[in-house]
Amino acid sequence: MNNAAYIQLFKLAGPEMLIALAALAVLLVDLTLMRGAPVRARRVIAVLLTGVGGFAAALYLLQVPLRAVSWGGLWAVDPLTQLVKLGLVGLAVLTAVLSLEADYTDHVGEHFALLLLATVGLMVMAGAADLVLVFLGLELTGLSLYPLVALNKAGPRATEAALKYFFFGALAAAVTLFGFSFLYGLSGTTNLAGIAAALRGRGFDPLLALAVVFSLVGFGFKVAAVPFHLWAPDAYQGAPTPVAAFIASGSKLAGFFLLGRFVALALPESGDAGRAALFTPGWVPAVAVLALASMVLGNLAALAQRDLKRLLAYSAIAHAGYLLLAVLALNGAANRPAALAALVYYAGTYALAGLGAFAVAGHVERHAGAAALNHLTGLGRRAPWLAAGLAVFLLSLAGLPPLAGFPAKFYVFAAALNTPHAGAVSLGLVVVALLLSPVGFYYYLRVLKLAFVTESEKRPAGPDAPGNSPQGGENRFGVETAVALLAAAGVLGLGLFPQWLLGPLQAAVREAGG
Amino acid sequence: MQAALFYIFAALALVCGFLVVANPFSRNPVTSAMCLVLTLVWLAGLFVLLEAFFLGAVQILIYAGAVMVLFLFVIMLLDLRAEERRRLKRLGLVGGGLVAAALAVLLRGVIHEAAPAAAAPPAVEGTTEALGRLLFTRYLLPFEAVSVLLLVAMVGVVLLSKKELK
Amino acid sequence: MDWLNQLNPTQQFVIFSAVKALVAVVVLLSIVAYTVLAERKICAAIQDRIGPNRAGPWGLLQPAADAIKAFLKEDFIPAHVRKVYFWLAPALAMTPALLTIAVIPFGSQLGAQKMVIADLNVGVLYTFGIVSLGVYGIVLAGYAANSKYPFLGGIRASAQMISYEIAMGLSVIPVFLLVGSLNLSRVIEYQAGGLFDWLVFKQPLAFAIFVAAAFAETNRLPFDLPEAEQELAGGYNVEYSAIKFAMFFLGEYANMVAASALMVTLFLGGWTLPWAGLNQPAATLAGGLAHVGIFLAKVLGVLVVFIWVRWMWPRFRYDQLMDLGWKRLLPLALANVLFTATFLWARA
Repeated sequence: MNNAAYIQLFKLAGPEMLIALAALAVLLVDLTLMRGAPVRARRVIAVLLTGVGGFAAALYLLQVPLRAVSWGGLWAVDPLTQLVKLGLVGLAVLTAVLSLEADYTDHVGEHFALLLLATVGLMVMAGAADLVLVFLGLELTGLSLYPLVALNKAGPRATEAALKYFFFGALAAAVTLFGFSFLYGLSGTTNLAGIAAALRGRGFDPLLALAVVFSLVGFGFKVAAVPFHLWAPDAYQGAPTPVAAFIASGSKLAGFFLLGRFVALALPESGDAGRAALFTPGWVPAVAVLALASMVLGNLAALAQRDLKRLLAYSAIAHAGYLLLAVLALNGAANRPAALAALVYYAGTYALAGLGAFAVAGHVERHAGAAALNHLTGLGRRAPWLAAGLAVFLLSLAGLPPLAGFPAKFYVFAAALNTPHAGAVSLGLVVVALLLSPVGFYYYLRVLKLAFVTESEKRPAGPDAPGNSPQGGENRFGVETAVALLAAAGVLGLGLFPQWLLGPLQAAVREAGG
Repeated sequence: MQAALFYIFAALALVCGFLVVANPFSRNPVTSAMCLVLTLVWLAGLFVLLEAFFLGAVQILIYAGAVMVLFLFVIMLLDLRAEERRRLKRLGLVGGGLVAAALAVLLRGVIHEAAPAAAAPPAVEGTTEALGRLLFTRYLLPFEAVSVLLLVAMVGVVLLSKKELK
Repeated sequence: MDWLNQLNPTQQFVIFSAVKALVAVVVLLSIVAYTVLAERKICAAIQDRIGPNRAGPWGLLQPAADAIKAFLKEDFIPAHVRKVYFWLAPALAMTPALLTIAVIPFGSQLGAQKMVIADLNVGVLYTFGIVSLGVYGIVLAGYAANSKYPFLGGIRASAQMISYEIAMGLSVIPVFLLVGSLNLSRVIEYQAGGLFDWLVFKQPLAFAIFVAAAFAETNRLPFDLPEAEQELAGGYNVEYSAIKFAMFFLGEYANMVAASALMVTLFLGGWTLPWAGLNQPAATLAGGLAHVGIFLAKVLGVLVVFIWVRWMWPRFRYDQLMDLGWKRLLPLALANVLFTATFLWARA
């Protein structure tokens, strides 16, 4: 490989390098120029630098290459990956803006640097076309997020959350690596497409099934699918809210995109010999089980939650179940483009709504000390804009038209029903999903009832409790409100005009060649 | 000779690995750590048998010589009396044993049934030069990603271990 | 010697390797014994004393007397120690040094035999790997003692050795960038051209960092914090006596010898001298012996420096030690790697 290849690598991995450079710049500026400056000023500068880095990377990403390019089979750049990376960068910048109010830590430079490096990890996940890079992306994201979860050292829950996140992550990584090693052993290559080529037509192989199931563990952990979800409620609740928002949005989007690409690229399609064919690739039944368990457990457990962030965590698990339906639909070449577009559309709109909901939760938490559901009482009166945003997000998550959640669910279900060879399973899962929708409505509406209808007679104690604070500062138009309104506008716009996102996505999928 | 050495190293690695997690003679974490060191040394032996001398040497240098010393360092600084006194819960023992046995049976069956694939051509040759060349050409991107990973680990550790300034 | 020629190559290889290993170990141990004596003599000279002069002429039998004493003393095992590790640690203290010399070329050729026990192509990585295991002897000794000061000594040792291992490893990278191989015999060939081909002159910074790190790795003054008497009542080996203590004591000197041998090989031209054709592999038996002699003389010279420094310099404070390792040597070593790589790239 000569110098030209290096230059090509620079071009193809440019956005990631820009983000990594921004991370270094944030760290450097905060530790040198801003040393001794007030924390607030340091945060502003860090957010500005993050924004500049994100903007530069986004500009770079917008020069979408016309057709798919690959660097030595390791690194894929096509319109689809660029779109997903654009979304990831956007989510990261929104998270950084939310972190402007991060008054729980003095380590501003490290905080924003890790956020940016986590974004690099997510982008690596999005672009990886080789098991080595897949694993590195998963690990880079994980290792950046663990310390971020533990950022609030004064909070009693943060350490517990980070430890749980870390232990589950380490274990999942180990099992996944085990699975990858089997895949390599079976195919003799780490290239995703190469694995599929080597495995095609091998018939049922127990070792392959084992390899696939083991490999899925890491993805299941990253997207918080049952039974790898145990870290999620604690991590979402214990982590600083911007970090939780990023885990719920960015990590989810990249995780599902990677899972979709992994399944579509690396695992051979099922044959066409009836029922037995269903089990040929091994991943279809495994993903079906994950999807069913996630939908049922996520929705039912969400009913019992008394904390907004925990509730959002279980709702995230339930949505992971719906998203896994889209992953299932990737089985079968004819259906694949539609399913991939639906998957990315769902994950993207979910990420936007989730981020917005966490922004609201962050606001409540900052003013009431925690984001328990009964702290929401009277939010509609105290902070009408935020409450309206919350309504948009939760109704979108519930799947109510005209919000983005509705077309997302619609396209995913449609793709699932179109799946060849797996009609019964997909049909059953879609029926379960539809049956669980009222459950989702119930707990989302319960939150909204608290926010809009219930009068706050029992005000939580404490000087910062809503209504008691001397400045009555809740009505101030803070960053959370701004982010929430922006996200709400996105959710509404994409709900009214799903083709805005779906159109480019479908075009990109066609360009990327499935 | 090669096969005999393989079986010796593999058996020793397995025995030591078992002693790391379930040492019937000692509940002392330091003993577990030392067994892990031995496991790593035997694994290095396996690498050498595969003619991956660089990996073998690095395995000893990094894992046995540096990482595990830090493990020991941390273990020694903790108060481990509680850990040594802790008795295994019967339920946990039985449950864990059952799961391990089930997994073992499953894996045995799977590996027994699996058709041995054609030997994959080795992507990495044993010599250091070839490895280095590969790392800086074909696998340059993963290599750089690893360096970012190490940076993340360092920043994260500093972040976690430093006191808040307040 | 006819029976030797009748053996097949494998058998010959085994026999010659065994002989070489045996001779190397015997020589190493004698050097260790007399380094102890040299240390006491030089120390005495520096402090204007006479030093040991009772056992034999000029005290030359002193090592034998010390050995007999160590063997005959009661091997006392305190009640509170952790038995297994208490036995294991002294053995571990001595082994790494013995293993290190396996890859060091201590001469050119004697007859048809290369004067190196194992000519590995990852020689230096092997060396560093083995050296990095050396810390276990000390750490486990501190842990086995199960009491305060030895434990602190053990902890200090592990932190110190890991810190300086990194600087040491980075300091030699420029050497291998120049040589283009990790094989120690290649390193010596590279330096055979002349005095100014010696890497100590081509890479003075690398040499300086390596020397500092080697002093720290062998726990010698000015870096002997693991056994700082004034603070730790003697350090990790306080609870040991008799032959077990002697093992630690000798292990330290064996490590010194190994470090000197490595230093000679990497930076001081190994068995070569740039004059009188001594820089080419020997054709005659006498020439081969001369090369071994040159190597040993160089090692002894470095050992004298080790001892000299010990009695002239004060000890670092612990924070100074860590500062020096992480904030000075490490960046310097990295800069040196970068500089050398850039230089080679520009020249290519």
